[in-house]
Amino acid sequence: MTLFTIVVRGLIRRPVRTGLTLVGISIGIAAVIALVGMAWGYEKSMVRHLDVMGIDVVVSNMSGGIMPKVYDASLEEKIGKLPRVKESTSVLMQMLSVEDAPMMMVSGREWAGFTWSQLKVVEGRMPKDGSENALVLGRLAAEVLKKKVGDTVQIDAMEIPVVGIVDGNAVVENGAIILSLSVMQEATGNQGKVNFIDLQLVPDTTKAQTDELCKQIKEIFPEGRAMVASEVVGTSQGFRIARAMSWSTSLLAIIVGVLGVMNTMLMTVFERTHEIGILLAVGWKRRRIVYMVLWESALLGFLGGVAGVTLGAIGLKILETTPAIRGLLEPDLGPQLIFISVGIAVVVGVVSGLYPAWRSSRLSPSLAMNG
Amino acid sequence: MTETLKAGSNELVYEAIGLKKQFDGGKVIALRGVDLQIRQGEFVAIIGSSGCGKSTLLQMLGSLDKPSEGVLNYRGKSIPDMPDPSDYRAHEIGFVFQAFHLLPTFTVVENVQIPMFEGALSRSQRKERAVELLESVGLGHRLNHFPSELSGGERQRVAIARGLANKPSVVLADEPTGNLDSQSAKSIIELLLQLHRDLGVTLVLVTHDLTIAERATRTVRMKDGLVISDQLSIPPTDSP
Ligand SMILES: Nc1ncnc2c1ncn2[C@@H]1O[C@H](COP(=O)(O)OP(=O)(O)OP(=O)(O)O)[C@@H](O)[C@H]1O
Ligand SMILES: [Mg+2]
Repeated sequence: MTLFTIVVRGLIRRPVRTGLTLVGISIGIAAVIALVGMAWGYEKSMVRHLDVMGIDVVVSNMSGGIMPKVYDASLEEKIGKLPRVKESTSVLMQMLSVEDAPMMMVSGREWAGFTWSQLKVVEGRMPKDGSENALVLGRLAAEVLKKKVGDTVQIDAMEIPVVGIVDGNAVVENGAIILSLSVMQEATGNQGKVNFIDLQLVPDTTKAQTDELCKQIKEIFPEGRAMVASEVVGTSQGFRIARAMSWSTSLLAIIVGVLGVMNTMLMTVFERTHEIGILLAVGWKRRRIVYMVLWESALLGFLGGVAGVTLGAIGLKILETTPAIRGLLEPDLGPQLIFISVGIAVVVGVVSGLYPAWRSSRLSPSLAMNG
Repeated sequence: MTETLKAGSNELVYEAIGLKKQFDGGKVIALRGVDLQIRQGEFVAIIGSSGCGKSTLLQMLGSLDKPSEGVLNYRGKSIPDMPDPSDYRAHEIGFVFQAFHLLPTFTVVENVQIPMFEGALSRSQRKERAVELLESVGLGHRLNHFPSELSGGERQRVAIARGLANKPSVVLADEPTGNLDSQSAKSIIELLLQLHRDLGVTLVLVTHDLTIAERATRTVRMKDGLVISDQLSIPPTDSP
């Protein structure tokens, strides 16, 4: 028999209570996994999206909400002429509720720009030219909207025919509705406006040269911001909001978990007052009793964490297939998130055990045994 | 009695001078100034009517509660001033209670190992020692039973084995036969006497049973929180 045996015995002697506490923690941790997994997945999918499209620098006005504010398309001409820029292309991208799907990325891309070149036609064809009233759907977008070539899709005020279904090699691309910039501007009433200028740089451009370029863009477009593609996600307000929301909701779930474990451990300590008195009478150090209680609550947290990760993983798998999420992001459930979540659960356990442990160590052996 | 004469010259184990204990801010005075000396190897029976402070005195001796006033030393060291009395409880004394006080969710052999967590034994040594102790109290065949599956006498044997876990030099027993039928009581007393004789432990035993007190080397009689008589043996006329 070791202290661990004693700790485990403490948990299994009240299977229902231990079970309910585990359910409580695991729901909290599952929430962490699902929310943070989505937020991270969103970011990761975006990074991959930019990467696949060959975008090195993104120019936008990041003061908007989830999507940046629109600005005048004429800026592209000036920015496109700056040194080290190989190619530039304008985009008007918005998150719109399209028919039954609550949120879809609708991406109006300057005709013949490099962002079209990555798309592979799976079915049908590409639009004939920039002015044709036509759009293509990413594979997942087609599934989510249940549309085939020949159907039409309502974008704001306009009915636009689907002429093709494309594969863009990244979840975000495959989940998007893609059309030419001028059609998008007309449909959304944003004539002459864009909200992103994507730049491809000359190969072998150094970090210093990129920074210099960003500075020059800032001069041309003071309220805008030029960002290296890999930094876009980290600094954009939309991602920051998503991240903050997922963590703050997680924090709530964690607080509920702490209260649950603390309640359980306090009950355990009160219920075992007599036994703790016996332990003190046979010579146990108060420190050992503190360890016993803390190990017990840490183990409770750990088991809850493992159960929560499992639950959260299942939740993510289910969320992944819902129309609202599908095609927008690929949830990220990597070892890092699993490790962090189980870690949080153990910390929750230990923190919740601190007060009960302190209480138990202050018991007077004679009172505890007789009272 | 040669044994008592020998005891009289032995090392002083406990010394109480003017020991007082009150509860509830002075409303209850359990000990009113007890003076007592107990020497190595003695078997001291403490008797007296209910409520006279016997258990309170034993709890002070065992450092389970602090005196309100007075001196209480164990081998020359003040018990109330011990910085960590758990060492004293774990290694110097063994407790045996009327209500057994075993841990219900642990088996017999596990209960006996509980105090050994404060010792230096390895896991397997702890188990080994617990088995030996249980065999010596005649419970070698009950190792993996839970306390609830044992008779009162058997439970008290487990408690005695647990009390001996860390080889204490003193055993403090508070009415160890109080919850037992006369047959079990008799065998528990035999067991305690055997420990006293074979291991040389100092035995302090609270009892209501004068036939038990007769077998002690010394009898301390208490009344209203005071020691009223202290004799090397009870005169035969005192027994019922
Ligand atoms: N924790 C306590 N709080 C208040 N009063 C107490 C407490 N413990 C003991 N007392 C009181 O102190 C007195 C002595 O109690 P104690 O238990 O020492 O008596 P005792 O001699 O062991 O009696 P018994 O033979 O019935 O066991 C009693 O009046 C008792 O009510
Ligand atoms: Mg008593």
